[in-house]
Amino acid sequence: MAFVLSFLLRRLSQGLVIILLVGFVIFSLLRIIPGDPVRMMVGPMASEEQVEEIAAELGLRDPMVVQFGRYLFQLSQGDLGKSFIKNKSGASSAGGRESQGLDNKANVLDLIISTVPFSLQLAGLGIAFALLFSIPLGIAAGLRPSGIIAKIAFAISSIFVSLPNIWLAILLILVISTNLQWLPAIGYKGFSYTILPAIILAVELSAVIVRALSSSVTAIMQESYVQAGVVRGLSMGHMIRHHVLRNSSIPMLNLFGAQLGGLLLGSMFVVEYIFNYPGLGLLTINAVFQRDFPVIQGVAIITTAVLVLINIIVDLISAGIDRRLQY
Amino acid sequence: MAKEKAHFWYTVNGRMLLAAWKRPEFKFGLFVFIFLLLLSIFLPMLSEVSATKIAVRDRFMPPVVMEGGSAKHLFGTDQLGRDLLLRSLIGLQNALLIGVLSVLGMFIVGAIVGIVSGYRGGWMDTILMRITDAQMSIPVVILAITILGVSRPTPYSVILVLVLAGWPTYARVIRSAALSESKKEYVRAAKIIGASNTRIMARHIAPNILPPVAFIGVLDIARMMIFEAIFGFIGIGIQPPTPTFGNILADGTKYLINAWWITVIPGLFLFAALLSLNFIGNALEKARNDVLGGHH
Amino acid sequence: MAAAKTPLLSVRNLEVTAHLRRGDQNVLSNISFDLGAGEVLGVIGESGAGMTVLSRAIVNWLPAPLAVTRGEILFRGNNLLNMPEEDAAKLRGKEIAYIGSDPTTALDPTVPIGTHLTAKLMAVKPEMSKAEARQRIFDLFDAVRIPSPKARFNEFPFQFSGGMMQRVMIVDALSADPALLIADNITQPLDVTVAKQIVRLLNGLKEDFDTSIIFVSSSLPMAMDISQELLVLQQGKVLERATPQDLISNPQTDYTRRLIEQVPRIWEVDHTPPASVSQKPILSVQNASKTYHTKDPDKVFGTQAVQAVRGVSFDILEGENFGIVGESGCGKSTLSRLLSWIEAPDTGDIFFDGESISAMDAKGIKNLRRQFQLILQDPYTCLPAHKTITQIIGEPMVIHKLAAGKALKERVAEVMQEVGLPDDTGNKLPFQLSASQRQRVNIARAMVMKPRLLILDETLSSLDQLEQARLLELFDKLQKEHKFTYIFISHDLALVRRACSRIGVMYLGRMAEVAENEELFFEPRHPYSRAMLSAMPTLEKNRYDAATCLLDGEPPSPVNIPPGCSFRTRCPDAIDACGKVDPKVTLDGTTQVECHLFE
Repeated sequence: MAFVLSFLLRRLSQGLVIILLVGFVIFSLLRIIPGDPVRMMVGPMASEEQVEEIAAELGLRDPMVVQFGRYLFQLSQGDLGKSFIKNKSGASSAGGRESQGLDNKANVLDLIISTVPFSLQLAGLGIAFALLFSIPLGIAAGLRPSGIIAKIAFAISSIFVSLPNIWLAILLILVISTNLQWLPAIGYKGFSYTILPAIILAVELSAVIVRALSSSVTAIMQESYVQAGVVRGLSMGHMIRHHVLRNSSIPMLNLFGAQLGGLLLGSMFVVEYIFNYPGLGLLTINAVFQRDFPVIQGVAIITTAVLVLINIIVDLISAGIDRRLQY
Repeated sequence: MAKEKAHFWYTVNGRMLLAAWKRPEFKFGLFVFIFLLLLSIFLPMLSEVSATKIAVRDRFMPPVVMEGGSAKHLFGTDQLGRDLLLRSLIGLQNALLIGVLSVLGMFIVGAIVGIVSGYRGGWMDTILMRITDAQMSIPVVILAITILGVSRPTPYSVILVLVLAGWPTYARVIRSAALSESKKEYVRAAKIIGASNTRIMARHIAPNILPPVAFIGVLDIARMMIFEAIFGFIGIGIQPPTPTFGNILADGTKYLINAWWITVIPGLFLFAALLSLNFIGNALEKARNDVLGGHH
Repeated sequence: MAAAKTPLLSVRNLEVTAHLRRGDQNVLSNISFDLGAGEVLGVIGESGAGMTVLSRAIVNWLPAPLAVTRGEILFRGNNLLNMPEEDAAKLRGKEIAYIGSDPTTALDPTVPIGTHLTAKLMAVKPEMSKAEARQRIFDLFDAVRIPSPKARFNEFPFQFSGGMMQRVMIVDALSADPALLIADNITQPLDVTVAKQIVRLLNGLKEDFDTSIIFVSSSLPMAMDISQELLVLQQGKVLERATPQDLISNPQTDYTRRLIEQVPRIWEVDHTPPASVSQKPILSVQNASKTYHTKDPDKVFGTQAVQAVRGVSFDILEGENFGIVGESGCGKSTLSRLLSWIEAPDTGDIFFDGESISAMDAKGIKNLRRQFQLILQDPYTCLPAHKTITQIIGEPMVIHKLAAGKALKERVAEVMQEVGLPDDTGNKLPFQLSASQRQRVNIARAMVMKPRLLILDETLSSLDQLEQARLLELFDKLQKEHKFTYIFISHDLALVRRACSRIGVMYLGRMAEVAENEELFFEPRHPYSRAMLSAMPTLEKNRYDAATCLLDGEPPSPVNIPPGCSFRTRCPDAIDACGKVDPKVTLDGTTQVECHLFE
């Protein structure tokens, strides 16, 4: 128990530092890089004075440290600020006429919360597809590394990892949605709109999972305690169920922490953009094009926090499975 | 020196290359890759057809095997009558250039940070690793769209973004290799004969741990090429008129239903290049595991 | 009894072949022997004679490319090799048990010991309930003297020392009352005192369990201790079978004679001290200690202190051969790092030629490295793999800018000749050399700068007796020519007996005793020195009876060592003072013993 407590204390405080660091990096990037968000808000017709007036009102002309400090203070109260562009009604008002002030602008937190369920649904379905496909295949390939299943698994993962997700998405839209009309693709009008983008995510994830799982199962099968267990009088089935799968789950968990979280988030953003799927990714990409700084910052901080948390949970579970990791 | 070179195939690195060469997928991948590479270098040079010049009369021409195709444009033309084969090959050139340079960049940064923090340890290690932690917690795409989307993207900024996003992984892998290496007897032996830390890192540890990591870098070249395509597709990569896979595919989607080949053909070239790189990289990775695993 | 009619195990014309790419190669050929119920058969030979292959063949655990190609293995008259799988499964673990040489990899490290043992017991004895299985294991833990069995039951394999783990494996093997136990080199990785304990334990248990044992060992004295008969194996063939007494007194083959000769002698050897020992210390260690701090897994904050070396003082005289012996965990490898100044001691200091090393700056230490060199144990790992032999041997000269170009080449060639490396090795890579050649490269690299002090850290441990003797001769020759001083750090008492003039015995980070060679082996003062000697596997009559001198248990953990004499928890002669005061006794300039009995 002392381990769990000290582990959480250490990792959560480290995580907080990481989130602050990431927040600061994104925050300063957005302000160093050329491109005035106020100009985007007010449109090309507004005068220079109007731009300066609004910028001052938003605090955008204060020193960066002051701006970041203000941001952190708001953040500590659960306030991620207000969007520069999006209205509460949901409509964008770039280049808008009634753009003065932030009173009728949407809260960033609300925007994020309204899109997160869509993204969760997409990610969840993608992970489910990927696990259903790759766990049986990866284990079967790992148990007989020179067998036919292993060769098939290798071919599949090589092909999957070589398929650019944008291209695959276009092909699937063309074939399955447009030509065969099996599944809808663009936008979101119901659950069926999630399936095609989830398949794209699953293909990307599966390529990594199948290879990692099969090679870790193969490696564990070569550990001497597996054969020794059979000689000790236990069946091979017992050894696989109780020891091989248990031990090969640790590299899998690490994979989820270190790689898949980032991979999943990254490709989810792209997939949402291609399918015009109303999730966090689409929100972010549109925010970038509209220079909607508060939204970009909010998304960056929230996704970082999620990744940090995933990593902490993964390491905690790993240390529960293999006690040596506690030392 | 000549005599010492003859021994290359006996070294761990040499044996890894030999073991990779023995795998059929390595030869296949290498063959396809070299073919595509030569094609992408020489065909645009030799061909009298231009990849960027607009020829309205020839637009939407399908590949030669289909009705309406012409031998002048083997793989058809796009909405502006430009040759798809040439555009794909130039796109491949650009993608490879960006892939190789960005992997090289992240490898160099990762190697320096990784070896120093793995070998020296202490506060330096703590700080460097916390920085990589933070860096790895930002998804590549968010970092990229923030930097590229808000600024005006150039090839250099694309490479910069990829290096920024990729170096922490290299630093971590190399750090843990350097850490376990620094506990080995040959490092202790080198300290005892009076070798300086810089010498031990550069002359003893680096030659032992970097080649296997570089082998796996081949897989990352493929990954970076995909990222380059994604950036181009979203519109935050290298800007038109320079052909890249990303902007070709993005253009093509507008004519998907009537002229599917505009997206399918360039995608096939990208896919073939990625597959060949992945075959090479996988074979190298397996060879590394075989040689290093069987070593002990 | 049935044993009179059919033997329990009967191996007939067994042949095992390795199917290699360059053709088949026989690993075992025409092996035949019988083993009756309750008998103990020792199988001995040099490493590589096929002993492990034989024991693995009996339990059907031959890894590819090995396979049985001929013969039969009859267990109670049934051939194990062509038995239906379901019948064979009923024998594994239940009737035939196997213990291997590496207990640390025999169990899944992520699962507690108790779970492993009960799962096995219930798998081979389905009629047993979980409670019964647990009780049985607790009882056996007591029988093999694992302290606090209930607590250890829930601990994980990595929390056990090698010796304790081997006890666990014995429990695992014997829990189902097997008719046959195959003990394959079970004492090989263990320290001598622990190995001796294990053999003693097994000797006692075989009576209670009425189990037949095949005891495979490359140590002849160890096998003699426990076996009724010995089977000598050479290159996969049986050479002879005899009772231990007959085998020693009347060996039938040259090979057996050689095996007997190779068993190290402790008391029946002459030791000639080095020619010229000055009275001036070349290296002087004064109250050196080193503590490592690691995270304490039982506390939210805080670390635990691992006290590796605790206040060690001794002098090494110019021209002598000083030995440092001790078992694993005694702190000798940390001491070696301190002596070679890879790490600095926390307290205390080391003086070279009267100069304090801790007071030197980096440049001074670099210059000092020309004067003393360390030769490491493992010739496989201590050479950089990607450099040629010439480059490796010349590197110190390049680093210290002592020679370049032609002069460097000549110096390297000269040293190579001195250590007996053929000229054509110069352009080779380390892995193309034999183990002994690599060790010579190691020696050459150490002496290329003409140092005065050489520290040999387990340098000869991985070599066989013959090669050890050759290298000792080389060391002797080099000492005469260059007036070297040697420090031998080793776990091997027989080696320091042959090589050293003065020896320090380490226990739990302290120097328990420092004595002249003859003194230590004939009149040891410290009870721990006596215990180590009594555990030595020898063919001569051991001067110290294990029954009275050998200790029970294992050294306490180096974390948070209690005050007083660290040996008192295992000492048969402990008195009141031992629990209170740290003993520190210097008898004269060159001899010391840390024991209250000598105050």
